[in-house]
Amino acid sequence: MSNKKPSSIFVSGPIAAQKIAEDIQKHSSKVSIGAHSIFLGQVRADEIDNKKVTAIEYTAYEEMVVEKMAVIRESFFAKYALTCMHIYHSLGRVEVGEICLFVFTSSAHRRDAIDACNEMVETIKKELPIWGKEICEDNSTVWKQNN
Amino acid sequence: MDVQVIFFGSIIDITLVDSVLLNNCTDLDSIVNDLIERYPALANKKYFIAVNQKMVHENIKLKMGDTVALMPPFSGG
Repeated sequence: MSNKKPSSIFVSGPIAAQKIAEDIQKHSSKVSIGAHSIFLGQVRADEIDNKKVTAIEYTAYEEMVVEKMAVIRESFFAKYALTCMHIYHSLGRVEVGEICLFVFTSSAHRRDAIDACNEMVETIKKELPIWGKEICEDNSTVWKQNN
Repeated sequence: MDVQVIFFGSIIDITLVDSVLLNNCTDLDSIVNDLIERYPALANKKYFIAVNQKMVHENIKLKMGDTVALMPPFSGG
């Protein structure tokens, strides 16, 4: 195991489409890669009691997320033949239509990238101490629930 | 003996603060009892507990400087 301090997955506010494009571009030099799989979570305009959701505000137990993510990351590299894996999650306010989650897995062959990406999205929702508060058009709020 | 307790998500709607310092709490059960006395609505609330960023599912002894976190069900993504 490396001694590198595990880094945070958090981005303040929405994840820009430009960043996603740049991250894809950065991988062109890694020529052993044959497949990328990408998941993007977007804030949806849900309706709660006839009121439209306009944004989600995310908070997290950041130190615990960093610690948990280091363990999860290691288990994914043990389970799947990944070349690399990048994960970004928003903190703070993200408007409807903006991107709040970006999971990016790469491998030599498609199966590993696709399966790891799918499992990572489920793992993030289930295991990371992150909370979303849905903000409605009249500024009332409802705590988001994951299915 | 001081133990810091930190709150997250909908728990803060009940406590109205994001942390409290408790003394004379030697184990997790005594912390929970103390908190329910201060914030009765916590008794009906679903939450997980972490001690020093590790999930804990049973009563454990606490030591000076420990951080206890009360976390409602996660809703990231």
